[in-house]
Amino acid sequence: MTDTTLTPWEPPLAGTDATQILGSLDRMRWTFRWKTAGLDHAGLTTRIGASSLSLAGLLKHLAANEDYATTVKLLGEPMDEHWADNGWDDDEDWEITSAPDDTPEQLYATYDEAVARSRARIEAAVAEHGLDMTIAAHDDDGQHANLRRLLCDMVEEYGRHTGHADLLREAVDGLTGEDPPPGWRP
Amino acid sequence: MTQTNEIALDSIPVAGDEIDTLIGALERNRRTFAWKCGGLGRDDLRRTLGPGTMTLGGLLKHLALVEDEYFTRQLLGAPSLSPPFDAVDFDADPDWEWRTAAEDDPVELVRLWEECVARSRANVAAAYAEDGPEARARTASSGGAPPALRRLMVDLIEEYARHTGHADLIRESIDGLVGEGMS
Repeated sequence: MTDTTLTPWEPPLAGTDATQILGSLDRMRWTFRWKTAGLDHAGLTTRIGASSLSLAGLLKHLAANEDYATTVKLLGEPMDEHWADNGWDDDEDWEITSAPDDTPEQLYATYDEAVARSRARIEAAVAEHGLDMTIAAHDDDGQHANLRRLLCDMVEEYGRHTGHADLLREAVDGLTGEDPPPGWRP
Repeated sequence: MTQTNEIALDSIPVAGDEIDTLIGALERNRRTFAWKCGGLGRDDLRRTLGPGTMTLGGLLKHLALVEDEYFTRQLLGAPSLSPPFDAVDFDADPDWEWRTAAEDDPVELVRLWEECVARSRANVAAAYAEDGPEARARTASSGGAPPALRRLMVDLIEEYARHTGHADLIRESIDGLVGEGMS
Protein backbone atom coordinates (compact mmCIF):
# COMPACT_ATOMS: atom_id res chain seq x y z
CA MET A 1 0.00 0.00 0.00
CA THR A 2 1.37 3.36 -1.00
CA ASP A 3 1.74 5.81 1.87
CA THR A 4 0.01 8.86 0.43
CA THR A 5 1.33 11.09 3.20
CA LEU A 6 4.76 10.59 1.63
CA THR A 7 3.44 10.93 -1.92
CA PRO A 8 0.60 13.45 -1.72
CA TRP A 9 0.92 14.03 -5.47
CA GLU A 10 -0.32 10.53 -6.37
CA PRO A 11 -3.72 10.83 -8.15
CA PRO A 12 -6.61 8.59 -7.05
CA LEU A 13 -6.70 5.09 -8.57
CA ALA A 14 -10.36 5.54 -9.40
CA GLY A 15 -11.49 9.09 -8.68
CA THR A 16 -14.45 11.03 -9.90
CA ASP A 17 -14.45 13.03 -13.12
CA ALA A 18 -13.19 16.03 -11.09
CA THR A 19 -10.79 14.45 -8.58
CA GLN A 20 -9.04 12.46 -11.30
CA ILE A 21 -8.06 15.43 -13.42
CA LEU A 22 -7.36 17.68 -10.43
CA GLY A 23 -5.14 14.90 -9.06
CA SER A 24 -3.18 14.81 -12.28
CA LEU A 25 -2.82 18.59 -12.35
CA ASP A 26 -1.53 18.58 -8.79
CA ARG A 27 0.96 15.81 -9.54
CA MET A 28 2.33 17.95 -12.37
CA ARG A 29 2.58 20.98 -10.07
CA TRP A 30 4.52 18.98 -7.47
CA THR A 31 6.77 17.45 -10.12
CA PHE A 32 7.45 20.75 -11.87
CA ARG A 33 8.25 22.40 -8.53
CA TRP A 34 10.64 19.57 -7.66
CA LYS A 35 12.39 19.89 -11.02
CA THR A 36 12.99 23.61 -10.44
CA ALA A 37 13.78 23.54 -6.71
CA GLY A 38 16.92 24.53 -4.82
CA LEU A 39 18.83 26.25 -7.62
CA ASP A 40 20.76 29.50 -7.77
CA HIS A 41 20.47 32.14 -10.50
CA ALA A 42 22.97 30.38 -12.77
CA GLY A 43 21.09 27.10 -12.53
CA LEU A 44 17.71 28.68 -13.12
CA THR A 45 18.92 30.54 -16.22
CA THR A 46 20.78 27.63 -17.86
CA ARG A 47 19.74 26.90 -21.46
CA ILE A 48 20.27 23.86 -23.66
CA GLY A 49 20.47 23.20 -27.38
CA ALA A 50 18.80 25.81 -29.57
CA SER A 51 16.00 26.64 -27.11
CA SER A 52 15.56 29.98 -25.36
CA LEU A 53 13.75 28.33 -22.43
CA SER A 54 15.15 28.22 -18.90
CA LEU A 55 13.76 26.97 -15.58
CA ALA A 56 13.44 30.63 -14.52
CA GLY A 57 11.34 31.38 -17.61
CA LEU A 58 9.21 28.30 -17.03
CA LEU A 59 8.54 29.22 -13.38
CA LYS A 60 7.31 32.68 -14.31
CA HIS A 61 5.44 31.43 -17.38
CA LEU A 62 3.52 28.77 -15.47
CA ALA A 63 2.83 31.24 -12.64
CA ALA A 64 1.32 33.65 -15.16
CA ASN A 65 -0.54 30.80 -16.82
CA GLU A 66 -2.04 29.64 -13.51
CA ASP A 67 -3.35 33.14 -12.79
CA TYR A 68 -4.53 33.78 -16.36
CA ALA A 69 -6.38 30.47 -16.61
CA THR A 70 -8.20 30.93 -13.32
CA THR A 71 -9.07 34.63 -13.61
CA VAL A 72 -9.51 35.74 -17.22
CA LYS A 73 -10.44 32.34 -18.65
CA LEU A 74 -12.35 30.85 -15.73
CA LEU A 75 -14.10 33.86 -14.23
CA GLY A 76 -13.84 36.65 -16.80
CA GLU A 77 -12.03 38.76 -14.23
CA PRO A 78 -8.81 40.72 -14.73
CA MET A 79 -5.55 38.97 -13.91
CA ASP A 80 -4.40 38.99 -10.31
CA GLU A 81 -2.86 42.29 -9.19
CA HIS A 82 0.48 40.55 -8.79
CA TRP A 83 0.85 41.07 -12.56
CA ALA A 84 -0.19 44.76 -12.62
CA ASP A 85 3.35 45.88 -13.46
CA ASN A 86 4.16 43.86 -16.60
CA GLY A 87 5.74 44.21 -20.03
CA TRP A 88 3.28 42.28 -22.19
CA ASP A 89 2.39 45.31 -24.33
CA ASP A 90 5.92 45.36 -25.75
CA ASP A 91 6.83 41.67 -25.50
CA GLU A 92 4.24 38.90 -25.54
CA ASP A 93 6.84 36.55 -24.03
CA TRP A 94 7.68 39.08 -21.32
CA GLU A 95 7.25 36.62 -18.45
CA ILE A 96 9.86 34.35 -20.05
CA THR A 97 12.31 37.02 -21.20
CA SER A 98 12.13 39.02 -17.95
CA ALA A 99 12.50 36.02 -15.63
CA PRO A 100 16.34 36.18 -15.50
CA ASP A 101 16.00 39.68 -13.98
CA ASP A 102 14.25 38.18 -10.93
CA THR A 103 16.03 36.55 -8.00
CA PRO A 104 15.48 32.82 -7.35
CA GLU A 105 13.52 33.76 -4.20
CA GLN A 106 11.22 36.03 -6.23
CA LEU A 107 10.68 33.36 -8.89
CA TYR A 108 9.83 30.62 -6.39
CA ALA A 109 7.48 32.96 -4.47
CA THR A 110 5.79 34.16 -7.66
CA TYR A 111 5.12 30.55 -8.68
CA ASP A 112 4.06 29.24 -5.25
CA GLU A 113 1.69 32.15 -4.65
CA ALA A 114 0.12 31.86 -8.10
CA VAL A 115 -0.47 28.12 -7.57
CA ALA A 116 -2.10 28.78 -4.18
CA ARG A 117 -4.44 31.38 -5.68
CA SER A 118 -5.22 29.18 -8.67
CA ARG A 119 -5.93 26.09 -6.55
CA ALA A 120 -8.36 28.05 -4.39
CA ARG A 121 -10.23 29.43 -7.42
CA ILE A 122 -10.51 26.01 -9.05
CA GLU A 123 -11.59 24.28 -5.83
CA ALA A 124 -14.32 26.86 -5.31
CA ALA A 125 -15.53 26.52 -8.90
CA VAL A 126 -15.58 22.72 -8.78
CA ALA A 127 -17.36 22.69 -5.41
CA GLU A 128 -20.06 25.03 -6.63
CA HIS A 129 -20.54 23.97 -10.25
CA GLY A 130 -18.60 20.80 -11.11
CA LEU A 131 -16.71 20.30 -14.36
CA ASP A 132 -19.70 21.17 -16.55
CA MET A 133 -19.44 24.78 -15.36
CA THR A 134 -19.62 27.25 -18.24
CA ILE A 135 -16.51 29.43 -18.07
CA ALA A 136 -15.68 32.85 -19.51
CA ALA A 137 -13.31 31.58 -22.22
CA HIS A 138 -14.94 30.92 -25.58
CA ASP A 139 -14.03 29.88 -29.10
CA ASP A 140 -14.17 32.02 -32.25
CA ASP A 141 -17.89 31.35 -32.65
CA GLY A 142 -18.64 32.59 -29.15
CA GLN A 143 -19.32 29.17 -27.69
CA HIS A 144 -18.17 29.14 -24.08
CA ALA A 145 -15.92 26.36 -22.84
CA ASN A 146 -16.56 24.29 -19.75
CA LEU A 147 -14.25 23.87 -16.76
CA ARG A 148 -13.42 20.31 -17.85
CA ARG A 149 -11.83 21.60 -21.05
CA LEU A 150 -9.85 24.26 -19.17
CA LEU A 151 -8.43 21.67 -16.78
CA CYS A 152 -7.52 19.31 -19.65
CA ASP A 153 -5.63 22.15 -21.31
CA MET A 154 -3.83 22.92 -18.04
CA VAL A 155 -2.71 19.30 -17.61
CA GLU A 156 -1.37 19.30 -21.15
CA GLU A 157 0.41 22.64 -20.70
CA TYR A 158 2.01 21.46 -17.43
CA GLY A 159 3.02 18.11 -18.87
CA ARG A 160 4.70 19.77 -21.81
CA HIS A 161 6.63 22.28 -19.71
CA THR A 162 7.59 19.63 -17.17
CA GLY A 163 9.13 17.77 -20.10
CA HIS A 164 11.14 20.89 -20.88
CA ALA A 165 12.09 21.14 -17.20
CA ASP A 166 13.25 17.49 -17.19
CA LEU A 167 15.92 18.15 -19.82
CA LEU A 168 16.90 21.56 -18.43
CA ARG A 169 17.35 20.21 -14.90
CA GLU A 170 19.35 17.23 -16.10
CA ALA A 171 21.69 19.69 -17.85
CA VAL A 172 22.04 21.82 -14.69
CA ASP A 173 22.99 19.16 -12.14
CA GLY A 174 22.12 15.73 -13.48
CA LEU A 175 18.86 15.34 -11.54
CA THR A 176 16.45 13.01 -13.35
CA GLY A 177 13.28 11.12 -12.47
CA GLU A 178 9.56 10.94 -13.10
CA ASP A 179 8.10 11.94 -9.70
CA PRO A 180 9.59 13.60 -6.62
CA PRO A 181 11.14 11.19 -4.09
CA PRO A 182 8.73 10.10 -1.31
CA GLY A 183 8.54 12.71 1.43
CA TRP A 184 9.80 15.55 -0.76
CA ARG A 185 8.66 19.06 0.15
CA PRO A 186 9.56 22.38 -1.51
CA MET B 1 -3.26 30.73 -36.84
CA THR B 2 -3.45 28.34 -39.79
CA GLN B 3 -6.39 26.31 -40.95
CA THR B 4 -4.72 23.05 -39.90
CA ASN B 5 -4.10 24.32 -36.41
CA GLU B 6 -7.73 25.31 -36.00
CA ILE B 7 -8.84 21.83 -36.97
CA ALA B 8 -6.38 20.33 -34.52
CA LEU B 9 -7.64 22.51 -31.69
CA ASP B 10 -11.21 21.68 -32.62
CA SER B 11 -10.59 17.99 -31.97
CA ILE B 12 -11.27 18.65 -28.28
CA PRO B 13 -14.84 19.72 -27.66
CA VAL B 14 -15.11 23.21 -26.18
CA ALA B 15 -17.80 22.13 -23.75
CA GLY B 16 -17.98 18.36 -24.08
CA ASP B 17 -18.74 15.55 -21.68
CA GLU B 18 -16.02 13.59 -19.94
CA ILE B 19 -15.51 10.86 -22.54
CA ASP B 20 -15.38 13.14 -25.59
CA THR B 21 -13.09 15.61 -23.82
CA LEU B 22 -10.60 12.99 -22.62
CA ILE B 23 -10.50 11.21 -25.98
CA GLY B 24 -10.15 14.57 -27.79
CA ALA B 25 -7.32 15.68 -25.49
CA LEU B 26 -5.47 12.38 -25.90
CA GLU B 27 -5.83 12.52 -29.69
CA ARG B 28 -4.48 16.06 -29.82
CA ASN B 29 -1.48 14.99 -27.77
CA ARG B 30 -0.83 11.99 -30.01
CA ARG B 31 -1.02 14.18 -33.10
CA THR B 32 1.39 16.79 -31.73
CA PHE B 33 3.82 14.09 -30.64
CA ALA B 34 3.73 12.43 -34.08
CA TRP B 35 4.35 15.79 -35.73
CA LYS B 36 7.42 16.43 -33.54
CA CYS B 37 8.87 13.04 -34.54
CA GLY B 38 7.80 13.12 -38.19
CA GLY B 39 9.77 13.40 -41.42
CA LEU B 40 13.17 12.49 -39.99
CA GLY B 41 15.79 9.93 -40.98
CA ARG B 42 17.52 7.28 -38.91
CA ASP B 43 20.38 9.52 -37.75
CA ASP B 44 18.01 12.27 -36.62
CA LEU B 45 15.90 9.81 -34.63
CA ARG B 46 19.09 8.75 -32.79
CA ARG B 47 20.16 12.26 -31.78
CA THR B 48 20.41 13.15 -28.09
CA LEU B 49 20.42 16.59 -26.43
CA GLY B 50 22.74 17.77 -23.67
CA PRO B 51 23.64 15.13 -21.09
CA GLY B 52 20.39 13.20 -21.66
CA THR B 53 20.17 9.85 -23.45
CA MET B 54 16.63 10.32 -24.74
CA THR B 55 16.04 10.19 -28.52
CA LEU B 56 12.99 10.73 -30.73
CA GLY B 57 13.24 7.11 -31.89
CA GLY B 58 13.31 5.97 -28.28
CA LEU B 59 10.28 8.14 -27.50
CA LEU B 60 8.29 6.55 -30.37
CA LYS B 61 9.07 3.04 -29.15
CA HIS B 62 8.49 3.96 -25.50
CA LEU B 63 5.07 5.47 -26.18
CA ALA B 64 4.14 2.45 -28.33
CA LEU B 65 4.95 0.29 -25.29
CA VAL B 66 3.01 2.56 -22.91
CA GLU B 67 -0.05 2.47 -25.21
CA ASP B 68 0.08 -1.33 -25.21
CA GLU B 69 0.62 -1.60 -21.43
CA TYR B 70 -2.24 0.77 -20.60
CA PHE B 71 -4.93 0.12 -23.18
CA THR B 72 -4.31 -3.52 -24.05
CA ARG B 73 -2.65 -5.28 -21.13
CA GLN B 74 -4.24 -3.34 -18.26
CA LEU B 75 -7.55 -2.26 -19.81
CA LEU B 76 -8.39 -5.63 -21.38
CA GLY B 77 -6.51 -7.72 -18.86
CA ALA B 78 -4.51 -9.32 -21.67
CA PRO B 79 -2.22 -12.10 -20.39
CA SER B 80 0.84 -10.41 -21.86
CA LEU B 81 1.96 -7.40 -23.83
CA SER B 82 1.54 -7.50 -27.62
CA PRO B 83 4.41 -8.32 -30.02
CA PRO B 84 7.22 -7.36 -30.05
CA PHE B 85 7.05 -6.43 -26.35
CA ASP B 86 5.81 -9.86 -25.21
CA ALA B 87 9.20 -11.42 -25.98
CA VAL B 88 11.16 -8.92 -23.85
CA ASP B 89 12.34 -9.54 -20.28
CA PHE B 90 11.88 -6.01 -18.95
CA ASP B 91 13.15 -7.01 -15.49
CA ALA B 92 16.49 -7.89 -17.01
CA ASP B 93 16.45 -5.12 -19.64
CA PRO B 94 14.32 -2.24 -18.29
CA ASP B 95 15.49 0.21 -20.96
CA TRP B 96 14.92 -2.23 -23.82
CA GLU B 97 12.75 0.05 -25.95
CA TRP B 98 15.08 3.03 -25.58
CA ARG B 99 18.18 0.94 -26.31
CA THR B 100 16.87 -1.02 -29.29
CA ALA B 101 15.17 1.95 -31.00
CA ALA B 102 18.60 3.04 -32.22
CA GLU B 103 18.79 -0.11 -34.39
CA ASP B 104 15.28 0.23 -35.85
CA ASP B 105 14.27 1.60 -39.22
CA PRO B 106 12.35 4.91 -38.88
CA VAL B 107 9.43 3.58 -40.94
CA GLU B 108 9.17 0.53 -38.68
CA LEU B 109 9.28 2.67 -35.53
CA VAL B 110 6.41 4.84 -36.73
CA ARG B 111 4.46 1.78 -37.88
CA LEU B 112 4.84 0.10 -34.48
CA TRP B 113 3.60 3.23 -32.71
CA GLU B 114 0.64 3.60 -35.09
CA GLU B 115 -0.36 -0.05 -34.65
CA CYS B 116 -0.35 0.30 -30.88
CA VAL B 117 -2.36 3.55 -31.10
CA ALA B 118 -4.94 1.93 -33.41
CA ARG B 119 -5.36 -0.98 -30.97
CA SER B 120 -5.70 1.47 -28.06
CA ARG B 121 -8.36 3.50 -29.85
CA ALA B 122 -10.47 0.41 -30.50
CA ASN B 123 -10.08 -0.92 -26.94
CA VAL B 124 -10.92 2.41 -25.30
CA ALA B 125 -13.96 2.93 -27.53
CA ALA B 126 -15.22 -0.59 -26.71
CA ALA B 127 -14.71 -0.13 -22.96
CA TYR B 128 -16.56 3.20 -22.92
CA ALA B 129 -19.36 1.75 -25.11
CA GLU B 130 -19.83 -1.11 -22.67
CA ASP B 131 -19.35 0.54 -19.27
CA GLY B 132 -19.56 4.31 -19.84
CA PRO B 133 -17.43 6.87 -18.00
CA GLU B 134 -17.09 4.62 -14.91
CA ALA B 135 -15.32 1.87 -16.93
CA ARG B 136 -12.44 0.17 -15.15
CA ALA B 137 -9.36 -1.69 -16.29
CA ARG B 138 -9.33 -5.48 -15.81
CA THR B 139 -5.75 -5.62 -14.49
CA ALA B 140 -3.66 -3.40 -12.26
CA SER B 141 -0.20 -2.20 -13.28
CA SER B 142 1.40 -4.31 -10.54
CA GLY B 143 -0.93 -5.96 -8.04
CA GLY B 144 -3.73 -4.21 -6.17
CA ALA B 145 -7.04 -2.98 -7.51
CA PRO B 146 -7.39 -2.17 -11.22
CA PRO B 147 -7.47 1.55 -12.02
CA ALA B 148 -10.42 3.40 -13.49
CA LEU B 149 -10.23 3.97 -17.24
CA ARG B 150 -10.34 7.71 -16.52
CA ARG B 151 -7.14 7.32 -14.51
CA LEU B 152 -5.49 5.64 -17.50
CA MET B 153 -6.77 8.33 -19.87
CA VAL B 154 -5.56 11.25 -17.76
CA ASP B 155 -2.24 9.49 -17.08
CA LEU B 156 -1.67 9.00 -20.78
CA ILE B 157 -2.53 12.63 -21.62
CA GLU B 158 0.06 13.64 -19.03
CA GLU B 159 2.57 11.07 -20.33
CA TYR B 160 2.24 12.26 -23.92
CA ALA B 161 2.40 15.94 -22.99
CA ARG B 162 5.57 15.43 -20.94
CA HIS B 163 7.31 13.38 -23.62
CA THR B 164 6.22 15.92 -26.25
CA GLY B 165 8.01 18.48 -24.09
CA HIS B 166 11.15 16.35 -24.42
CA ALA B 167 10.52 16.03 -28.16
CA ASP B 168 10.12 19.83 -28.43
CA LEU B 169 13.69 20.52 -27.32
CA ILE B 170 15.28 17.55 -29.12
CA ARG B 171 13.51 18.41 -32.39
CA GLU B 172 14.43 22.09 -32.15
CA SER B 173 18.08 21.08 -31.77
CA ILE B 174 17.88 18.86 -34.90
CA ASP B 175 16.31 21.18 -37.48
CA GLY B 176 14.90 24.21 -35.66
CA LEU B 177 11.27 23.07 -35.86
CA VAL B 178 9.29 24.67 -33.02
CA GLY B 179 5.65 25.21 -32.18
CA GLU B 180 2.91 24.26 -29.80
CA GLY B 181 0.74 22.42 -32.34
CA MET B 182 0.90 21.31 -35.94
CA SER B 183 0.90 24.09 -38.52
